[in-house]
Amino acid sequence: MTVGSSARDGEIEALVVDRYLESLLARAPRDTTDVPEDLRATADRLATGLPRYHPSFRFEDELAARLALAAGSATGTIGEVIDFRPPRTRDRGATDDGRGQVRPVVVGGVVTSAAISLAAAWMAWRRGRPPGEPRMRAVRAVARTRIV
Amino acid sequence: MDAARADPARFDALYRKYVAQVYNYAVYELGDHHEAEDATERTFLSALAGLPRFEERALPEDGEGASTFRIWLFRIARNVVNERRRRWRRRPEAPLDLAFTAPDPTDIEHAVVERESAMSAWRAVDRLGGDRRRAVILRFVHEMSTAEIAAILGRSEGAVRVLIHRGLRGVARDLRDRREGRA
Repeated sequence: MTVGSSARDGEIEALVVDRYLESLLARAPRDTTDVPEDLRATADRLATGLPRYHPSFRFEDELAARLALAAGSATGTIGEVIDFRPPRTRDRGATDDGRGQVRPVVVGGVVTSAAISLAAAWMAWRRGRPPGEPRMRAVRAVARTRIV
Repeated sequence: MDAARADPARFDALYRKYVAQVYNYAVYELGDHHEAEDATERTFLSALAGLPRFEERALPEDGEGASTFRIWLFRIARNVVNERRRRWRRRPEAPLDLAFTAPDPTDIEHAVVERESAMSAWRAVDRLGGDRRRAVILRFVHEMSTAEIAAILGRSEGAVRVLIHRGLRGVARDLRDRREGRA
């Protein structure tokens, strides 16, 4: 095998891997028989394992205000109310593409994930739910008691 | 896009759409949340100032709503990050373990195992360095197409495909070596 054909083989494999990645990131993985197993496994791991970082909401809103001011000065409308809408809550979930992806998200340095959110929701639900047994009611009453 | 160019006050919609992506890019590049916030701010202020000069390169056949704005914005972000790097020579390729050291009061065993796996994968990516690392991050974290990455990095699509392919090979080899105790 010549150096030239080796490089061409590498380019062909790069093209095959690229097509696989395209399908993987579209959440519709194609047939993987022509993708080397170690590359497929690594790609799968990277596609779900690398976290996304989200700025803190405070930073996001403060920057929005500064941009509004800058936009106002650009149009000569300083002092007028500019419609820089407050952030929409639905934009701040653990996923940003609405395709059900489960990927860690770090908001201002705090890790979240769909699983952790579910665990937190379950804890909140458990705490808010009246216990059935008298013994559990007593335990919770003691736990809620503040020592003065 | 056109609305924002005609009236800078309409820039808000673009800002809300892309702020997390730009910040995320900056965190991966700079390895520090505060530096990333600063880079994000500079990027959007530059974008707002340069908006009248933005040229839409998307063609009608690219589909309805297609825009090259994200590429343009990421090129600004890349320049801002590079400028910060030049002034911040102590740590040109900052290690990033931020996500993995953050406190998590509701952690469970499964999450710990997943986090360990993600951490080792991330460290392998981080060891790639340069544009190979950058291309892998843009592909897997930002889920950009090869064409978008090529436009941002100023390379051909073929070169980006090869960068990602070699990057994946490098990560796979790194993970295997560490699993087998050779690294």
